[in-house]
Amino acid sequence: MTNPHHACDDFHSTSETRRRSFLDTQLSRRQVIGRGLGAGLAIYAAKAMPLVRMLEAATAEAAAAPAAPILVTVFLPGGCDLLDTIVPVSQYGRYADLRPGLKIDSPAALGSTGLGVNPHLTEGVNGGVKGLFDAGKIGLLPGIDYANPDLSHFHSRHFWETGLITPVSATGWLGRWLDHAGSKDNPLQGISMDAALSPVLRSSSTPVAAVSSPDDAQFWIPDVWGDAFDRTMEAWTQIASNRPYSPGAAAAYAGARQAKSVADILAPYVKDSAGNDPLASSVAYPEGDLADRLKSLAGLLSLPLGIRAVTVESDGDFDTHDNQAGDLGDGLSKVSASLAAFQADLEDRGIADRVLTLVWSEFGRRPQQNESGGTDHGAGGVAWVQGTRVRGGVLSEYPDLNKLDSEDNLAVTVDFRRVYASLLEQWLGTGADAVIPNAGAIGRLQVVS
Amino acid sequence: MWARRGKKATLHWLLNGGRGPHMIGPSPTVDGHGIDPTNEWGHDVLWWLDRMVRSQRPLAEKMTLFWHDHFATSDQQTPLMLRQNKMLRGRALGSFPSLLKAVTTDPAMLLFLSLADSDKGAPNENYARELMELFTLGRGYNEHDIREAARALTGFQSRWSRGGNFEGIHYSRENHDRGVKRIFHRRGRFDWHDVVRLVTHHPAHAPFMVEKLWGFFITKPIDHRSRTKLVRLYRHHRLQIKPLVGAILAHPKLYADLDRPDMVKAPLVFLAGALRSTGRYIDDDAWSWILEEMGQYPFHPPSVAGWDWGPAWISTNTTRARFTAVNWLVRQGPLKVEDGSTPVGLSPADHMERALAATGRPWISSTTAGALNALIPRFFEDVKPTQTSRMQQRSDMCQRALRHLLLSGPDAQLH
Repeated sequence: MTNPHHACDDFHSTSETRRRSFLDTQLSRRQVIGRGLGAGLAIYAAKAMPLVRMLEAATAEAAAAPAAPILVTVFLPGGCDLLDTIVPVSQYGRYADLRPGLKIDSPAALGSTGLGVNPHLTEGVNGGVKGLFDAGKIGLLPGIDYANPDLSHFHSRHFWETGLITPVSATGWLGRWLDHAGSKDNPLQGISMDAALSPVLRSSSTPVAAVSSPDDAQFWIPDVWGDAFDRTMEAWTQIASNRPYSPGAAAAYAGARQAKSVADILAPYVKDSAGNDPLASSVAYPEGDLADRLKSLAGLLSLPLGIRAVTVESDGDFDTHDNQAGDLGDGLSKVSASLAAFQADLEDRGIADRVLTLVWSEFGRRPQQNESGGTDHGAGGVAWVQGTRVRGGVLSEYPDLNKLDSEDNLAVTVDFRRVYASLLEQWLGTGADAVIPNAGAIGRLQVVS
Repeated sequence: MWARRGKKATLHWLLNGGRGPHMIGPSPTVDGHGIDPTNEWGHDVLWWLDRMVRSQRPLAEKMTLFWHDHFATSDQQTPLMLRQNKMLRGRALGSFPSLLKAVTTDPAMLLFLSLADSDKGAPNENYARELMELFTLGRGYNEHDIREAARALTGFQSRWSRGGNFEGIHYSRENHDRGVKRIFHRRGRFDWHDVVRLVTHHPAHAPFMVEKLWGFFITKPIDHRSRTKLVRLYRHHRLQIKPLVGAILAHPKLYADLDRPDMVKAPLVFLAGALRSTGRYIDDDAWSWILEEMGQYPFHPPSVAGWDWGPAWISTNTTRARFTAVNWLVRQGPLKVEDGSTPVGLSPADHMERALAATGRPWISSTTAGALNALIPRFFEDVKPTQTSRMQQRSDMCQRALRHLLLSGPDAQLH
């Protein structure tokens, strides 16, 4: 695959022409006038050196590698239950014994796999998550976890986020991938569709960003406009160039610098004064945070911004210690309808072959239900890969309900780090050793078709 | 205060409060009316933010925030959250075991961590796990201890009206597991009182609490000697919080490098501090959604582990949200620069002095001072002194920009 660093260096020789072509194609004169100050500012500010570099980096990467694969991770917070999400139809008797009050009465069968899905996973366009499975666009990973799982949310989540089974502070696994294979200049290469940056994308040296929408990213100050405002923001950039002397100061200065460059890069895509949204989708999304985030994301992915790794956190409560039937059902409805709309949108925009989505949660739940109509933290969870180019089907062994471990938990049938290593190599085209320690020993799983 | 009274007197005032009223200044309003914390969206947040702005017991507010993060409870009914908040404030600097007992029987917590209705038939492990991992120990226990503690903690039952309204919590001996449990290698017919005793007497508790509180006030890692000393002090005072916090606040490391602040302000600290230092009282409900965008919406921490503090507060998005907060600070109230209010022809030094005085003289780095001093003349470089209305307009804009950058820039995010 193309090395973005290399592409970036190549680009500098012809940067001015390319930058002009980028601005010309993306931002017509009419649009500049229509959007008024915000977009005008972006062009003005782009004359300042560091911002030119940011714009260049984004467009250069997009131009040099227009088909560069993108990995989107969707996190289901709380520890999603396997048994009531992907129902073991072929072990139904044992399942019903373990889940007398919770069992899904009529799961929707997944072909001849011996499995069925919670009916809420049929919600959404084209039959929701089940429809995607039937179309070969989902590879299910039942029993995913790691050996001797830690049943604390925070430990387990931290392990998944960092790709390391250690409680020490570390960069995120995709942040580390960007440190290794990403750009030094483009903060949009790794984005969290959220207010805060996901620990999955925490990097040691490469810039990454948290973004909610191009409009929200823009800066303005009440009653300060025109040149006066532009000069004020130049001073902002100058202040933010201060040399950091501690981790806290480094965060504050980098945050100020990068927030400004994200605003400038996204300025051409803000809604105009007539309300026209350059990122508008032709697909109808459901309500909710997950859907809103995926909708903005699909629009951004269609632009030449050099986005490579994305994190999205789902709404919904998957930590179902009580009222599991209701809460899990609501959560899965949102997940199904939102992901189905996202997939349809990507296909509609003609970029689906570039995007692979990994859906994950920090652990599974106990097979035996508790007395509060819920389930406690357990092992052997659920994840899936989604996209037009994934290997569809059931990619890992479904845990045997008659062979629980010594703690009465499900057996772990696939290590999540094996999936990470496989995605890095088969999808992102990077050797896994640079990102996952001891990657050679954890094996691989075919996840891309 | 510090300069006038000295460190010792200031610390005494912080820890014990003065004689005067607890709150000074006007009560909070939205659109000219009093707030309704129980019924109106976001007014619970305003209620607490107002306390942070007007309180004459700022440490009590800061410690209430510490405990809200430590015993993070989220998304429960507003009256229960406000009740918990008052409980935490009342016990913020008292005995940890008493506080833990109050937390363990607090309705919002019981409902949040599913301890309510956990009974002997199938004990719910949620509270037992977080009690050890996040509230008291962090390490030094195993899965077996959690399961056994979950049994000992059974017996709390919730009561609901026919209409589905929460009516309260009671303790039912019927639902409590009265059998023998084995926790931390001790055996007994333990109940919830015993669990509180066992975890607070556990050898890992004092070091855990010392490190957590240290990290709340000081970014530099705790050295071995200070840690030992503070652990001893905490135990000597029978797990009282006030002497421990007092010792941390008096520690020389808190005063090292005061001219190079390195702790990222939590959004609430940033906002309450800016309101306090600029003399603005609560007169707008925008603060509630702005806090949400900055990543710290009180009463709704993201999980039972509370918020991620330190550099994790900062992202491109939260930086932009802090800028929004300052937009709201300067658009009305004492910081607002009305058209025509800035004298024309001020020297750069006078402009700077005027902006510093209005913003409560925040700390700024030499880079910032240099950038702002260079910015001032740029407002006037393409205006002739004879263009009087343009000169006036630029003078006003210069003041607005300076005040904004002093409060929104990266320096203002640090303390």
